[in-house]
Formats: sequence, structure tokens, C-alpha cells
Amino acid sequence: MQVASPLPQRQPSSLAFPKLAMLMEERTLVGAHVLTGMLALLLGSLMGPFQTFRRSPFVKEAFPDLQIPFFSFYYQALTIHGVMNALFFTTFFIVGFTYFITQRSLERPLWNRTLAWVSYAMMFVGLALVLFAIGSGQASVLYTFYPSLVAHPTFYIGLVLLVVGSWLVGANVFMTYAAWRKEHPGERVPLAVFAAIANFIMWIVATFGVAVEVLFMLLPLSLGWLKTTDPQMGRVLFWFFGHPLVYFWLIPAYISWYTMLPKQVGSKLFSDGLARVAFLMLVIFSVPVGVHHLFSDPGVSSVMKGIHTVFTFVVAVPSFLTAFNIGATLERAGRQRGARRALDWLWHQDFGNPVVAAQLAGMILFIAGGFSGIIQASLTLNIALHNTSWVPGHFHMTLAGAVTLTYIGIAYWIVPLIRNRALWSKKVALAQIYTWLVGMLIFGHGMGAAGIAGVPRRTDLSNAPYVNPDAAFFLNTSAISGVILLISLVLLLVNLVGTLFFSKEPVTEGAPVDTVGPAGSPLWLERWGLWVGIILVLAAVAWLPVVADALGTFASPGYTPFVPNPLK
Amino acid sequence: MYIDRLERYWIYAVAGTLGVFSAALLASVFIFGVTLPSPVGRVDPMQLDSTEFATPGLRSMGDNQYTLHVVAKMWQFDLGQAKGKPAEIHIPKGAEVTFVVTSKDVTHGFYIEHHDMNMMLLPGQIAREKATFKKPGTYHIICHEYCGSGHQNMIATIIVDA
Repeated sequence: MQVASPLPQRQPSSLAFPKLAMLMEERTLVGAHVLTGMLALLLGSLMGPFQTFRRSPFVKEAFPDLQIPFFSFYYQALTIHGVMNALFFTTFFIVGFTYFITQRSLERPLWNRTLAWVSYAMMFVGLALVLFAIGSGQASVLYTFYPSLVAHPTFYIGLVLLVVGSWLVGANVFMTYAAWRKEHPGERVPLAVFAAIANFIMWIVATFGVAVEVLFMLLPLSLGWLKTTDPQMGRVLFWFFGHPLVYFWLIPAYISWYTMLPKQVGSKLFSDGLARVAFLMLVIFSVPVGVHHLFSDPGVSSVMKGIHTVFTFVVAVPSFLTAFNIGATLERAGRQRGARRALDWLWHQDFGNPVVAAQLAGMILFIAGGFSGIIQASLTLNIALHNTSWVPGHFHMTLAGAVTLTYIGIAYWIVPLIRNRALWSKKVALAQIYTWLVGMLIFGHGMGAAGIAGVPRRTDLSNAPYVNPDAAFFLNTSAISGVILLISLVLLLVNLVGTLFFSKEPVTEGAPVDTVGPAGSPLWLERWGLWVGIILVLAAVAWLPVVADALGTFASPGYTPFVPNPLK
Repeated sequence: MYIDRLERYWIYAVAGTLGVFSAALLASVFIFGVTLPSPVGRVDPMQLDSTEFATPGLRSMGDNQYTLHVVAKMWQFDLGQAKGKPAEIHIPKGAEVTFVVTSKDVTHGFYIEHHDMNMMLLPGQIAREKATFKKPGTYHIICHEYCGSGHQNMIATIIVDA
């Protein structure tokens, strides 16, 4: 006879996750997002090395007929490179990673799995439409798609689907957290989920700008419903979104550094409290800084440029906090590995473990990326650098360095879990990571130095009538880095294909996911309403004057990139 | 919240460093007079012929000062050069030139090698900045924002005569 339970019956809400495998529903959902993201990365990155070749005076002389695979038109390849890497790879990968840590940390399924598949389908259709638009040569407008250049409507519809799909992802994550919170009053949410929620709050606020730009300016212009547009307003709305976008990429990398790396190196995070402060600062101060992309714009007042410079310095603080916090965590790990002197913990690290090595390599690049960023953000220094190749040099240290290498490090444990087979080859993974590190360092230096010499970014130099001779050496070293990075890319592809189809060994490494938050962190950090309020107020203060300045002229017709006459 | 002593010192050091950077920026603006493009006026990009941009080119304002009106368009800088002639101007050594520039069609860039001259050109907006050319030589004006398939050809030349 069964004894009746004294507790009211409840829907079982917590799930027991196996350490060394994924549940089937995790494998499909997380796997679909992560692998779609990696596909976008491989396609987008493949274009990169060929652009360095096309920009190199040496290669131009030696191989005058060299073409970029699939895309003979330089700016079409550049559009694929930017859109795939910056928008689709990042978003798909972040969503897959966020789903994984949310479910695992909170030990419960997502709030609504059907919604998760609906949002995936929207983003995937978005990817297909954008690929069609660019692939058919009707959207060679680069990933910033500034008006009054106009692309095919499918390009904008694809972007809308990507963004709206990601909003649904955010809603799903928030609802999962809310359900967890209801059952765990007074508990601290694990840091990874704390950061993921903060990230999606920022993302939803920030994408509002680009959504307005695409839905009310570019899409109607492209469909012929509107006859004119305003490029200054377009740039203002784009960069309202464009800078939080880079933190949307960075925060998942920080999640890995703060919550996973300590366990992967056998250490403990130095300070959980300041980690939370860092995440909140990133999220709050990422919005009032975007005008630092508009320092050279004639339609934005110098006062607002100055204010955004100051906020940009403030948003550098959480990255400095991260440097200390992660540095101290790594020092502890290095000491455990036998480091005795002041700084020898720096090289007593686990450089032979691909998952750790990828993140450490990313951090090395991030040092260069961070400092070059502060230089660019200094409004008067920016005059010497804006739109020169220094700028892509900088963001290849951050996005293609810290962010992408960390994501690749995550892929080296998450793809095996998805497939339930060990990583195909650790050696190939290490070779991939270190070629990527060396290639990016050479590339970043070459692009930075060429930029100082006055070489413009996003320009098909192989067809240009003039290239500053002082820059030839650096353009050639960039091409060398292109060769190294192409090798790295092939190694990545080989290892992913090997893991998915040819690996025989069972998984030996699980995911280091926390399921409880530390009791010491103050609970007020989780007052989300307060943080959203502060973000919105700062956004209004920092951006309404800029928008007001830009309002008024709406007299510019659209153009395609190929004909110097306005669209009918 | 507990903050380690060393970590607190680190935070002070970071705040101090960023404070110094901010002070350096203020100095660059208020002591050394570095300026950025800021709103000086607007034009209708479809009606440039009825504005100061109807006849682009160099105008002497006396005392080795010049104003150069430029119209950027896909894919050339119109400095008032005759049809089929290269986009090129000559100025004497030491000339102070005020560049008044706009775009006729899409977003362009205006960057002069070896000078603090870096402006975005947006249809509808007038961009104005000054530069002084102390050393003789050839300086290129480069369009540094992607403006379509001929973007890489969009270059003009300033020759500073000895």
C-alpha cells in the first residue's frame, strides 16, 4: 500500500543532467544552434584570408588574377565575411551556449521548447534569406548596410528574422529564470545565468535601434514604399545598436572565463561579487557609448561626442576588473602548478589543453584589442584612425581574437558533448589555436600599422590607383597572416568534421557548469527592474540629443552599389 | 560586498589612468584646439545646384587662406576640375584651407594623408574642417567609407607647391 505524500503534488521541474553526455533534447536544440553558428563562422572566415591577399601589393604583382572563392566581387565577399561572422555566427552560437548554461545551471528544461524551435527556425530562415541576397549579388552593402546604399528586400527581412528570433530566445531565457526564481526564493542565481540574463536584457534594448532603422527606413526604401531616407539618422540608429552588439559577443566569452575557466584550470574564481559588478557595468554602460563610432560624422555635436567618450572609458572599467579577477584566478592555478616567483604563474598554465589554451590565447589578443580600443575611443586621436585599417585591426583582436577563440574553446568541449564522442584530435586543436593566435597577432599589427600610414579599411586595394608605399610592408605581412589563418581555419574544419563523423572515443570531459550561486553575493544585484530602468534612462540621456540633432533631412534617395544614379 | 585590498588598489589605479586619459583629451581640445566635424548646416542632396556646392573648387580668401568646396559622388571627388581632368588642386606652401564638403548620393569618407582631416560625408549634411599645409608635397584625399563598386578609385590629390 502506498503512503500518501504530505506535500502537494507538483510538476517535476528539475532535471538530472548526465555529466558526460547531453539529454536528447539538449543535443538537438543546443547542437542545432552551435553547429549552425560554426558553419556561418567557417563560411564567413574563409573570405578573410583572400581579402588580405587582395590587399597585398606583393600578391597583386605575383598573382594578378587571384580571386576570392565563390565571390569574385571584393565587396560581396566582404559582406559575407562581416554578416556571417559578426551577425550570424555570434548570434547562433550565443543562443546555443545560453540555452545550455541556462538549463544546466538551473537544472530545469527551458520554459518553452516549442518556442525555442520557432525562434531557431526564424533565425535559420533569416540566414537563408541573407545568404540568397548576398550570394545573388543584390546585397553588397557590408555588414553595416549604411543607407543610402540599398540592398534587396530579402537581406533586410533576413536580418529582421534574426533579430526577432533572438528576442524570442531572450523571452524564453527570462521565463525559465522566472520559473526557477519562484521555486528558489532568496537563493543567488548562478553567475553564468546572471550574466546571460544581463546579456539578453542589453541585447533587446540595443536591437531596438537597428530594428527601427531596418523596419522604418531601409526595408520600406528597398521595397519602394519610401522614396528617400537619411544616412545620418541611419548611422545614429545603427550605432545605438552597434556597440552593445560587441558586448553581446563578449559577455558569453566572459561567462566562460568567469564561471568555467576556473574549474578548467583547477582553480577558483577570485571574486564572484566583482564578477557580477563587471557584468552589470558592461550591460549598463554599453549603450551610452555608441557615438564613438560617429566621431567623424558632421551631424553629431562635439559635446555628445565628448560625453560618449567618457562613458566609453567607464565601460572599459569592467574589462580592467576582469583582467584582475581572471588574472588572480589564473595566478592561483599557476601557483598550484609549481609557480614560485612573482610572474612565473603566467607561463605555468595548462597550455596543452585546447579548451584552456583557446581561452588564454583569446586573452592575449584581448590585451592588444582593449588598448587599441581605448586609443580609438579617444575622440581627438580617432581623427588619425577612423575608417583606416587600424579599426579592423582592433576588432580582429577582440571579436576574432578574444571572442571567437573563446567560442572555439567552448566548441572543443560542447561539440563532443553534442555528438557524445571525444574531440577528434587534441593536437590538431592545439595547432589550430596557436596558428590562430599567431596569425591574428600578425594581422592585427599589420592592419594597425597600415592604418596609421593612412590605408583605408574596406577598400579593394588591388584595384586602387594609389596605395601609400609606406604601408606596403604591413599589407604584405597581413597577407602572410592570411596564409596562417587559412591553415588554422582548415584545421578547425577538419577537427569539427572529425569529431562529428569519425571520432570513436567516448567523451571524457564534462561541462563545468555551476548549479548554485555563492551565498556571499548581494541579492540586490538581481533587481533586474532597477537595472533596466537605469539602462533606459542612460540610453535616453545619451541618445535623445543625438537623434534630435540628426532629425530633419530625409531627402536622400536610395542607390545600388553599382550605378551612380538614384533608384527610381 | 568583500573586495580584496589589492583589487581595491587596482580599481584606484584604473580610475586614475582613465582620469589621466580624460584630462589628455580635454587638453587636446581646449589647449591644442583639435576639432571634430560637428553640425554646420544641411543641404538637399538633390538640389546641390542651387547651393554653394553648385560650383565646387578652390577660392582664395586672401592672406594664404583658401576655401575648397568639394562634392563627393560615386566615385570621384569633384574639386571643380574640368571634365576628363584628374581631381587635383595646387596650393602654395603654408596655405590654410577650409574644406567644405558634402555628398551628392551615398555615404563617403574624406581623409587626407598626414593631416588631422577625417570626415564622414553624408548626403544632406555639410562637413567643414580646416587644415594647414606646411610642407610641400603631394597629399591624397582618400574616400575611406565604402560607397559602391568604384569605391577604391575615389581619390583626389592636393599638391602643395614649394
